[in-house]
Amino acid sequence: MSGAENGLLELFDRLCEPFNGSNTIGNSRAFWVGAVVALAITFAYPLFVSAYQAGNTALFLLYGLLALSLSVVWGYAGVLSFGQVVFFGFAGYTFGIVSINFGSTLGTTLAIPVAVLVATAVAGLLGYFMFYGNVSGVFVAIITLVVTLVMQTFMAQTAGDEWTIGEVPLGGFNGMPGIPNLAVGVEGAALTFSGDIFYWLVLSTLVVAYFGLRALVNSRFGYAMVAVREDEDRVEMLGYDIRKVKLGVFTLGGALAGFSGVLYASWGNYIDPSVYSLTFATMPVVWVTVGGRESLLGGLVATVAIEWFRQQLSVTGSEWAMVVVGVLLLTIVLALPEGIIPYVHRKAVGALQQRGFVDPDRPATATEEAAE
Amino acid sequence: MTDGRLGRREFLGSSALVAGTALAGCAGGGGGTTGGSASSSDTIKIGVLEDRSGNFALVGTPKYNASMLAIEEINANGGIDGKQIETFAPDPQSDNQRYKELTRRAIEQEQVDVLWAGYSSATRETIRPTIDRHDQLYFYTTQYEGGVCDRNTFAVGPTARQQLGMVLPYLVDEFGPRIYTIAADYNFGQLSADWVRVLADENDAEVIGEEFIPLSETSFGSTINRIQEADPDFVMSMLVGANHTSFYEQKASSGLDVPIGTSTAMAQGYEHRRLEPPAMANIYAGVNYMEEIPTERNTSDGGFVDRYFEMFPDAPYLNEEAQTNYFSVYMYKQAVEQAGTTNQEEVKAALESGISYPAPEAPEGSEIRLDPETHHVHHHMWAMRADEDHNVEAVDDRVIEEQFLSNTVDCDLTQEDEETQYTPQDYFEEAG
Amino acid sequence: MVNAANLFFQFLDSFAFIVLSAIGLAIIFGMMDVINLAHGEFIMIGAYGTTLAANAGLPLPVAIAIGVVVTMVVGLILERTIIKRLYERPLDSMVATWAVGLALTQGARIAFGNSLSSIGVPFGAITYGEFSYSMYRVLLSGVAALVLVGAYLVFTRTEFGVRARATIQDADTAQAMGVETDRMYTTTFVIGSALAGLTGALYAPTMAIVPGMGSSFLVEAFVAVVTGGSSVLLGTTLAGGTLGSINALFSNLYGTFMGKIALLFVAVLILRFLPGGLSGVVTDLRERLERESV
Repeated sequence: MSGAENGLLELFDRLCEPFNGSNTIGNSRAFWVGAVVALAITFAYPLFVSAYQAGNTALFLLYGLLALSLSVVWGYAGVLSFGQVVFFGFAGYTFGIVSINFGSTLGTTLAIPVAVLVATAVAGLLGYFMFYGNVSGVFVAIITLVVTLVMQTFMAQTAGDEWTIGEVPLGGFNGMPGIPNLAVGVEGAALTFSGDIFYWLVLSTLVVAYFGLRALVNSRFGYAMVAVREDEDRVEMLGYDIRKVKLGVFTLGGALAGFSGVLYASWGNYIDPSVYSLTFATMPVVWVTVGGRESLLGGLVATVAIEWFRQQLSVTGSEWAMVVVGVLLLTIVLALPEGIIPYVHRKAVGALQQRGFVDPDRPATATEEAAE
Repeated sequence: MTDGRLGRREFLGSSALVAGTALAGCAGGGGGTTGGSASSSDTIKIGVLEDRSGNFALVGTPKYNASMLAIEEINANGGIDGKQIETFAPDPQSDNQRYKELTRRAIEQEQVDVLWAGYSSATRETIRPTIDRHDQLYFYTTQYEGGVCDRNTFAVGPTARQQLGMVLPYLVDEFGPRIYTIAADYNFGQLSADWVRVLADENDAEVIGEEFIPLSETSFGSTINRIQEADPDFVMSMLVGANHTSFYEQKASSGLDVPIGTSTAMAQGYEHRRLEPPAMANIYAGVNYMEEIPTERNTSDGGFVDRYFEMFPDAPYLNEEAQTNYFSVYMYKQAVEQAGTTNQEEVKAALESGISYPAPEAPEGSEIRLDPETHHVHHHMWAMRADEDHNVEAVDDRVIEEQFLSNTVDCDLTQEDEETQYTPQDYFEEAG
Repeated sequence: MVNAANLFFQFLDSFAFIVLSAIGLAIIFGMMDVINLAHGEFIMIGAYGTTLAANAGLPLPVAIAIGVVVTMVVGLILERTIIKRLYERPLDSMVATWAVGLALTQGARIAFGNSLSSIGVPFGAITYGEFSYSMYRVLLSGVAALVLVGAYLVFTRTEFGVRARATIQDADTAQAMGVETDRMYTTTFVIGSALAGLTGALYAPTMAIVPGMGSSFLVEAFVAVVTGGSSVLLGTTLAGGTLGSINALFSNLYGTFMGKIALLFVAVLILRFLPGGLSGVVTDLRERLERESV
């Protein structure tokens, strides 16, 4: 290779460095080049398909953001939460309340950070309550599950006129319609997100979140999270306050889930208490389990694949749809405990190694040497 | 997993892995399992989104069945204006999320000429924004709280005011003016309870107590005690769903035998067939249709009931909503033939020209009318009573026109386009 | 004005419902740390078995027994094929049991339709003044108490019980001492399933028999398990008593919605301020008394 090519490759490697580490799969240059290609394809996607398909896929992608929020909380910090949908719902409802009350694009713009803030605050409160009360493991799962069910019961009965915030009735079981599309700016000079532009917004948010989380989990805080997941007592002895670590991650997860909720509310221009249902609360757990708990990419890919698959099944109208989903899930949990993406990656790399495309003794990059 | 510098072949391998997984997820976003084309000029495409699994399967399956019955009958008789009907009928699984996705698909990809969708009001409200955004012609056929004044929506099921307005005055006459209300604790239940107050006021009766019960509740011991304490002349029950069915069983086993008027029980979920007698004894349902209503078109040989069970011999019951799905398909047919086209705006105009149809709910010689201004139906209502052996018979019947939107709210969709839902609280003091 | 007799019967009803909802889940969780998200479906299977048997003409007690047996068989199959592969992975077993629950619910719908004809409630009513209460629902509190006492006897007086408690306390040591822990787990799972099936069988006459019926027991079951604490039987009893009285009191005074909210609110308080659960409070007290008497 020439000097210029070498220089370019080195630049590329250095750009990828903060995102590489032993906490994520796919740290090779090949992976990153492949990722760039895949990204390009995904960005170009709406140009080749109908508006319906683009909008449909946008929904799956914003679910991916919800999955990422659980991925980081559960996969990396070991906190199994059924409550991501609580923050999702709070943000969605708040976005609706604020944006409809203001009735202007400025109001809608303001609604976004307010909604995410509310979701983050709720996550912080719940996290404080649980982690500083020394609740852990499976009890966290149950408490978050119960909170979700409480929210569903409560919101379903907010039907009367007395349940109005400003000009906006909460709507009870029937939900809150008329939520405007996301917009940034002021009247006259605003960018409204709908159709293809909405798709690109969701995709961009997802990409930013993914890279941000990748950098985070490969950083010192990331190692602290993983350590907490593996052995809490040892981490405490080393001087970390595990409650703070868990609370921090949980709150971050709440913010991500909240943003996903905002996207959701503006996607359908509607939100209702079914976001707090047992099924929807369990879906993130299913997505992340199938995709690979300890892999950010796994959760993402699994979300899109599973939701697409479930939708296809319901289109066929077969009564066996739910049974198929259940059996499939079961098979994956039993057969591929690490999740699909890590499994596929491992197999693919193994196969390539066998065929001599990869030299297992190749010198590692600087980052990886330091990590070892 | 920690690979260093690699050759081109591994590049291909890894990137194929990453790109392939990304594509596999995205590429199928609508993927053409049904072809996704608009109706050709030879066929009419009808979208039917009714629950056949999940919580509402019990009441959703008959709706789906009846739609299919009507469509098959029409196709066998030459179709609509000579064109055969094809259907897009997935199963939304009682999941509002699914409804949203499938409604979008029905409108944007399948390009249906008309859409029937949804059992619960929540479902209707979930999809109404999409319907309105695309100006999609939409029939909503379930009994509901009333008040939807929407240019695209034809809410052709009975409203709470019509149903309660049938049974409440009858019960006041029969038993007395002291009413105790129990209702499901969500929009439909709360709004129906408001209507009970309004109707009580109009009939010189009084609501002496009200209780709202969460949809998930299955223990009614304390509710029964409270009813006993209040000692009303009759109870108005707007309980909804399988969990609330337990009320009737527990009431019977406590020996509580106060008469009960209802808009929700028996006609939709056929409790009188599923529960052991005398759980439903002395229950009066105010409905536009039940399998047992005594009209010629319904009960005669080859009538509606016979035709339904011939096509669906394993069906357990022919419920209230099924009939609404059935006659609304025929109303659509009439409107299309009158307009001479499937163009949705022109069909809506035709529907607003005063359509009427000889539905099974109406006695021989009469028809039910679709009100042009409100897009609702002036139903022929029945008060049906179940006795100790769960035999059901009609005790009263008459036509009850849609009043709330027409008279109180002044909703006139022939003059002015709207997309709102109105509630009684804003118009009646008694509704609280 | 609180009518004492009403409140008493409402309390018994509530106590029975909470205890019977929770006991199957609690035993499986206490022993194996497995949260069986198919718990609601096990209850449904018990109810379906009983209803089908009773509708076929069998007397109610026999039908109930059949419901229990059917659920036990399903539980056994599930344990041997799926759960046993997930012993070390409690969180994965949650997802697995949820998937199984999904398949079971829809399977019941495909096999038996959207609803079964219900069986009538036996025994009539207890009347007192202008009030009455379903005798059957009150008797269920007796059944709940019997179940608790029976389980207590099994766990303390039988050899199986001793081995089971050893496994709960320290599975590795128990295994080293010759306890066949795998067999323990299977047996416990089957017992838990049987109890869940019993709940469904007992409540079948008073409820609508639909495939999704199990979900109406879930909230009470989870809340009772979590507030009960580490001692399975003591915890379930205390949870039933405490939450049952709160629920009954608030239902009586303010309606069923407030009753449910109060129950959940108190549960949240217990979770926050009593980290060992309700049974933790009792064991702490006991230890303190022991220490002071020494």
